[in-house]
Amino acid sequence: MTLDIQNLAYAITQIVHNFGAVTVVGGAVYALLRREAELQRKLAWIVLAGWMIQAFSGATFGAISYYYYAKFPDLFGIAVVALIVKVVCAGLGFTLAGWQLIAHRTEVSRRYAWITLCGLGVLALSSAAVLRWFS
Amino acid sequence: MRILSVLVLVISSIASPLAIADDSKIEIISPADGAKLDAMEQSKIEYNVTLGGGADHIHVYVDGKETALLRQMKGSYTMETLSMGKHEVCIKIVNKNHTPIGVERCIKVEVE
Repeated sequence: MTLDIQNLAYAITQIVHNFGAVTVVGGAVYALLRREAELQRKLAWIVLAGWMIQAFSGATFGAISYYYYAKFPDLFGIAVVALIVKVVCAGLGFTLAGWQLIAHRTEVSRRYAWITLCGLGVLALSSAAVLRWFS
Repeated sequence: MRILSVLVLVISSIASPLAIADDSKIEIISPADGAKLDAMEQSKIEYNVTLGGGADHIHVYVDGKETALLRQMKGSYTMETLSMGKHEVCIKIVNKNHTPIGVERCIKVEVE
């Protein structure tokens, strides 16, 4: 049996990245369905962790490439735009989820924040598909 | 014993991170290195690539800028119109994550 450690590393990172995507979208959608403040606070922690996982695992893809080849992946055109969109979504998602935890806000403003978080998750997931097929 | 062999494999891979892809190779059939191209004609590059371990597809670069991703290992690629003057065209073999694995072939051409 030949075990390709490099592909295994990419695959494990992809698994983590996929579950991070599920967390940021699923957490935000569930928070929109359930309005209890305490539950929403827990979900904000989960979504915050999800965006952290997304950022960390995304960076790990580059790190694995650098580890094996001392080079980062070569992307161009639409793929670069899609990657930038993903990075911006992660930054905004992390900030907004953190803000949900820190700020004392009204139910209406919390709801708008969850809608935005949901949108950021969907946009990041859509960009991932573009990044996958345009690179 | 089996677990031990897997462990040794993992440790040895970690200890020598830089992957070697010496069984991959690229041949640029045309244009030849140093060829002069007609500015009025489409510039086409013909190539033949052999993928070794870790290799997945190829990227084409003109003057250091990536212009195409190709999955066909033998064929031709029509480049965007090249301006007058000297240009460098490179083909690099990359892995599944689009990282150059260290095997590349470059030619210099002059458009007149």
